[in-house]
Amino acid sequence: MKMKTVVDVHDLEKTYGKANERQYQALKGLNFTVAAGEFVGIMGASGSGKTTLLNMLSTLDVPTRGDVMVNGHDVTKMRGNQLADFRAQEVGFIFQDFNLLESLTAEENIGLPLALKGTSSRVMDQAIHEVAETLSIADLLPKYPSELSGGQKQRVAAARAIVHHPAILMGDEPTGALDSTSARELLDLLTTINQKQKMSVLLVTHDPFSASFCQRILFIKDGLIGSEIKRGDQDRSAFYQQILNELGTFNE
Amino acid sequence: MLGKLALAGIKNRRRDYLVLLLGLTMSAAIFYMFANLATNRAFIKANAVVSQASLIFGFGAVLLILITIVYIMYANSFLLSMRQHDYGLFMMLGATRKRVGELVFLETLILGSLATAVGIVLGLAMSQFLVGFLLDMLGLHLAHLSAVYLPAIVATAVLYVGLFILASLFNLVRLTRTTVLKLLHTDEQANQPKVHPFRQMVAAILGVCFLAIGYWSLAAIKDLQMTAIPIALVTITIGTYLLFRATILVIIQGLRRTRWAKKHLNGFLLGQLNFRVYNYTRMLTIVSLLFAMALGAITVGSGYHRQLPMMANSLGTYTMAIHDKNAQEQHLIDQLNVKHQATYTQKRQGKVVYYNAAELKQQPFELNRGTTEAKYATHPKYYTESLKQFKQKGSQSLDFLSLAIRSEQGFYAPQILSAQQFAKQSGKTMTVTTVRVKNLNQDKRVLKRLNKLELARFAQPEAMTVGNYQSYELMSGFFGGLEFMGYFLGIAFLAMLASCLMFKILSGAPGDQRRYQMLYKVGVRQRLMRVGIAKEIGILFLIPGIMGVIDVLFGLQMFKPLMQSPMSPYLGIGSIFAIFIGLYAIYYAITLALYWRIVLPKAPTN
Repeated sequence: MKMKTVVDVHDLEKTYGKANERQYQALKGLNFTVAAGEFVGIMGASGSGKTTLLNMLSTLDVPTRGDVMVNGHDVTKMRGNQLADFRAQEVGFIFQDFNLLESLTAEENIGLPLALKGTSSRVMDQAIHEVAETLSIADLLPKYPSELSGGQKQRVAAARAIVHHPAILMGDEPTGALDSTSARELLDLLTTINQKQKMSVLLVTHDPFSASFCQRILFIKDGLIGSEIKRGDQDRSAFYQQILNELGTFNE
Repeated sequence: MLGKLALAGIKNRRRDYLVLLLGLTMSAAIFYMFANLATNRAFIKANAVVSQASLIFGFGAVLLILITIVYIMYANSFLLSMRQHDYGLFMMLGATRKRVGELVFLETLILGSLATAVGIVLGLAMSQFLVGFLLDMLGLHLAHLSAVYLPAIVATAVLYVGLFILASLFNLVRLTRTTVLKLLHTDEQANQPKVHPFRQMVAAILGVCFLAIGYWSLAAIKDLQMTAIPIALVTITIGTYLLFRATILVIIQGLRRTRWAKKHLNGFLLGQLNFRVYNYTRMLTIVSLLFAMALGAITVGSGYHRQLPMMANSLGTYTMAIHDKNAQEQHLIDQLNVKHQATYTQKRQGKVVYYNAAELKQQPFELNRGTTEAKYATHPKYYTESLKQFKQKGSQSLDFLSLAIRSEQGFYAPQILSAQQFAKQSGKTMTVTTVRVKNLNQDKRVLKRLNKLELARFAQPEAMTVGNYQSYELMSGFFGGLEFMGYFLGIAFLAMLASCLMFKILSGAPGDQRRYQMLYKVGVRQRLMRVGIAKEIGILFLIPGIMGVIDVLFGLQMFKPLMQSPMSPYLGIGSIFAIFIGLYAIYYAITLALYWRIVLPKAPTN
């Protein structure tokens, strides 16, 4: 049985700068797919086009050419409210800098995607508490972001990203601002979300340790997919070594 | 080198600096205009006949100084908030605190001096044109008013430069006492105020008490005299502050627990207001006071403008009496909207003036109940009497007595003769035409010319004519200064209020920019964000607006002694309130448009 695809990127190109200015081509015709329930990592050095790619996938930026299908929606054809609704309903985000609204409590932050949908407050409370239980952050709910540690903030952000059951969870260096213990906890959490809730996860990172939690890794170099490795049956530390080896040869 | 860096920093934010400079310049210009009026002794002596008028001028001056101080403090904190990141960076790069301190001091002082100098020049120009325009529009004439008045220039310069030196010192101390890291990251913090129910309750009760004392002292201005105003100023300010601080937070936090807060962006809106209102309590208090003063001043000004003719109408029966009218005068009379007109023949002999009974029967002399009965004062009721009655009562009324031009000895005694007797009666014969117009304000210009002609030909001993128009001119002389002050202060306060809110917006926008960027990423529709911002700013406008209206409704009591029956400070305030609120709403719309432009994330384009 063929798995359903959640993300299908075809010939994706992105050029910055206007026609009469100095132009820079960040993505040069990228192709890849992510199947439902997969945990995929995208790696690459700074400036390789990782963030540009994620911005295209999440509709924060528009491609110069090519197609991006996410959960059956052609995001390059969407406009205005469609884009906003797409982001609100189909994808969940975790950012490096948390992106929590500091004027709202953790609970209000988590409930935001549901509030935008117009969910009734009873259903909302239930969903928030369910997700809080899963991520064991129930005791953080009444606190403001300024009262939380980095790791706690990122767990709240993760809760906000999955509370509305999006088709795919995207992370842009989510461990970038965390200490090693918190980073590990978060990655375990993402693995749990991926396995228990069968949610697809797309992780953009340049950190081999983070990447070793993925099932498949795409390496980007100069706007193209350079190579791809799969974890298969090996355990995480063996996969970690494989990533390090790959990076060693990849960057030569 | 550091100086160069600082200059580059300013260049990068030149639009913000321009707004800051513009606001300060406007404030200095307004202050100069006021100082020019308030310190010009010759001008005050010539115009402020009523004893309270000088009190009002003093009140205005004190208010303006206080508001200027607060305003500069506020502008200064905006300046500091703009610069502290740069200063932190300089210190991180290794600049000594002393050197950075010097920079801060100089920068504030230079900015302030520049604003003061430009402001005074602008003030001179505005005194010349704006004041003249305003006076012309109101049909007033104020003697001894000149645009250039040295003491006013000195007063403005001393006050402003002095305040800026204080502000510079304040910045110096603030900056050298904060850590570098705090300077670098101040704009990323949003403090969450905690609610302490007991303290909140006490503050609310105290606030209401202070407000009550303030309102009472305004109403009791007759007894308290000079002390009423400072008492009211202090108590209303403290009261408003405490009340805002105590109630608004509780309301917002209460709302956050409701279901309504869980719909769309409502929760975000409340969260924003929660920390914003707390940080802005002081500013909202000032804006509410400015709102009250602007609205109050304009209400009083327009009250005099509209009510003086009414007051004049209650004093007599006819608008003007013209003796032996000539062709030119007849021509002018034809231009008036005449409601009632009559012509009588007079014969003066000795101390008696004779009238023809036939004429009086044919066109009975009009009388006005308003002159004798208070309840008709606001709506004059005109009536006539039968000739017999008129001989006994009406003919002794002041209006009728003064129809005959007075001599040095005083009034002629009127006597009404039958047509035959009148014909036989010898004496100096002349006619008198009484005219009553529909609306004194409307016919003011023609009446003025008519009055001049009459005065040139038949001056009474006091160089006055008779009739309501003359009373109106007299009262305009008395109250014109107050009327002008009302309009002037109203416009000045409105302008200050406008720039105060402007600073609030500009200093809050960078922080909000980040928040709306986050909302955008999470997938909030543009429209929803727009509506959310409209509500947030709308509420920030509404709070001081409501408080301001309440302040005015109570504060107008203060003018009761100055606007005695049939005038009243409360008469016809509806339309003035509507106009003022309209202006306020326009300002809200402009603010909103600016905010949208700064804060809303732009959709990506190719």
